[in-house]
Amino acid sequence: MNIVELPLAVFVVDDEPPARNRIKELLTDCAEQLPLEIVGEAGNGREALDKLSATHADVVLMDIRMPQMDGIELAQHLNKLPRPPVIIFTTAFDAYAIKAFELHAIDYLLKPIRLGRLFDALTHARTAVPLRTEVLQELMPEPRKHLSIHERGKIHLIPIEDVLYLRAELKYITVRTVEREYLIEESLSALEKEFAARFVRIHRNCLIAKDAIEGFEKGGDEGESGWMVKLKGLDELLAISRRQQHIIKEFS
Amino acid sequence: MPRTQSINQNPLPDALPDFRSLGVTLRVVLLVNGMALLVAIAQATSWPDIAQHVLAISALLQPVLLSSLLLLFALNSLLARLAYWQGAAAMLLLVVMVTLAIYHLGGDLYAPLIGYGHFHLWRYALLSAAIATLLLAYFRLRSQALSPALHKARLQALQARIRPHFLFNSINAVLGIVRADPKRAETALQDMADLFRMAMAHEGALVPARQEMALARQYLELEQLRLGERLKVNWHTENMPDDALLPPLMLQPLLENAVYHGIEPLAEGGAIDIKLYRSGEEMHLEMYNPRQEQDSHHAGNKMALTNIRERLALQFDLEARYTAEAGKDFYRVHIMLPYVREETP
Repeated sequence: MNIVELPLAVFVVDDEPPARNRIKELLTDCAEQLPLEIVGEAGNGREALDKLSATHADVVLMDIRMPQMDGIELAQHLNKLPRPPVIIFTTAFDAYAIKAFELHAIDYLLKPIRLGRLFDALTHARTAVPLRTEVLQELMPEPRKHLSIHERGKIHLIPIEDVLYLRAELKYITVRTVEREYLIEESLSALEKEFAARFVRIHRNCLIAKDAIEGFEKGGDEGESGWMVKLKGLDELLAISRRQQHIIKEFS
Repeated sequence: MPRTQSINQNPLPDALPDFRSLGVTLRVVLLVNGMALLVAIAQATSWPDIAQHVLAISALLQPVLLSSLLLLFALNSLLARLAYWQGAAAMLLLVVMVTLAIYHLGGDLYAPLIGYGHFHLWRYALLSAAIATLLLAYFRLRSQALSPALHKARLQALQARIRPHFLFNSINAVLGIVRADPKRAETALQDMADLFRMAMAHEGALVPARQEMALARQYLELEQLRLGERLKVNWHTENMPDDALLPPLMLQPLLENAVYHGIEPLAEGGAIDIKLYRSGEEMHLEMYNPRQEQDSHHAGNKMALTNIRERLALQFDLEARYTAEAGKDFYRVHIMLPYVREETP
């Protein structure tokens, strides 16, 4: 049997142009022995997401410390792609991240990168198991700055400060901003834990942004004799469960 | 206890206190008056009596104390040029002379209060010599106690300067241009060598401000290589005297902080403003940098800033001030320290 392997599609993300340049040079050196193709590069996480939803990459080499969105958050969003790439982190010095990588046996490259190490990492890339999102979440010292929504082959980023509430419905979670609703596949309790500083639970199935609370109203609706919360910029009222009524005191 | 030796730890030679510094003057006034109060309490027979005794002592003590301090202020640079023991002897002599002179001039004024005659004359000369000696001993002990702290702080400054993040990223950046632009890579490597040479040089307590600025510029040059257009720096040094001295390793760590916490997390980058100027007998350093709103990245390296604050306090006592203001989207540091001139050889 004759399997023709396609060249490895590699994408480079780093905020420093000389650092990207360096990686590209090394990739060109590798290409002599390992069929590969540089399919693109980006200077920050947002740009990388945009480009990678249009172009498939097998491997993404990415810096950890970048403006706007760091590498670890970018990796979580990339995991939502239909064919998530294998991610190889690169870092010059980040004691926290390196410790975490060692702990979870995640491969990473130290800058300045050596040709041999890069070659090894790329050779193993085809057989590498993609990083699990849960592991990436553990690596994050802070909550994400965006939620990512995969819609018709494109990834939308919603800044977390735009989100008014998160409500669990069947197997999805509704993400509500002033403009519209989105659906994501995540667990409400994981979101509650990650964004504890931003959101508060008002119901078994609902988290609301603390900043968005406008006021509380006694809900007259049938059966639910309890309280309702009104959010800024939203007409709809959300029910507060009996168990969570203490939040009325905390936020009014 | 084993003495750890390092190039940076040759102890400071004994020196007389700087009589022009506010901290020293304040301490002298407080200590001397404290002693006077103790004497008054020891002699008193009732509460109101304490005040009486304080008044009696003050009549001679305050003029002597203030004139001695004034004279020492005037003669400070002369005294500082003498060896420690000579300086100390000169200072004691001066204080005794001042006491004798004031006692003599006061003449009849002091006679009814504290007695008159040779015995009293020499009694007060002896007392003032004793107090001066005690104060000298106090300042000497104090500087000995503080000097290891100062050395440690300087050593930490050296270590803090070579932040691994900067070192490895710079090497990486040079590697990134070495094939495409070998000339620029050469310059960058030379900058790096200069930067580290200056950083590792064993400096005295103060260095010329222009040397500190040269070091800072070289550092910024390297950061520019990595960050390109994202890093802009505006220097305002029109009103800085050429002969000003600054503590070493102060400017560059501040800049590094501004780059690391301010510029790097901003996708579009921003401009750092540095202002160095003299106002009267004070030198001011102001630094302003933009930063991401609600600065989110973890803990932050406050080490450099704490270190600078510590060194300023150890070196200039009350005469240096350090204020930092963290706004929503900016960070501002203002350092004020005495204007020390470079001695012209």
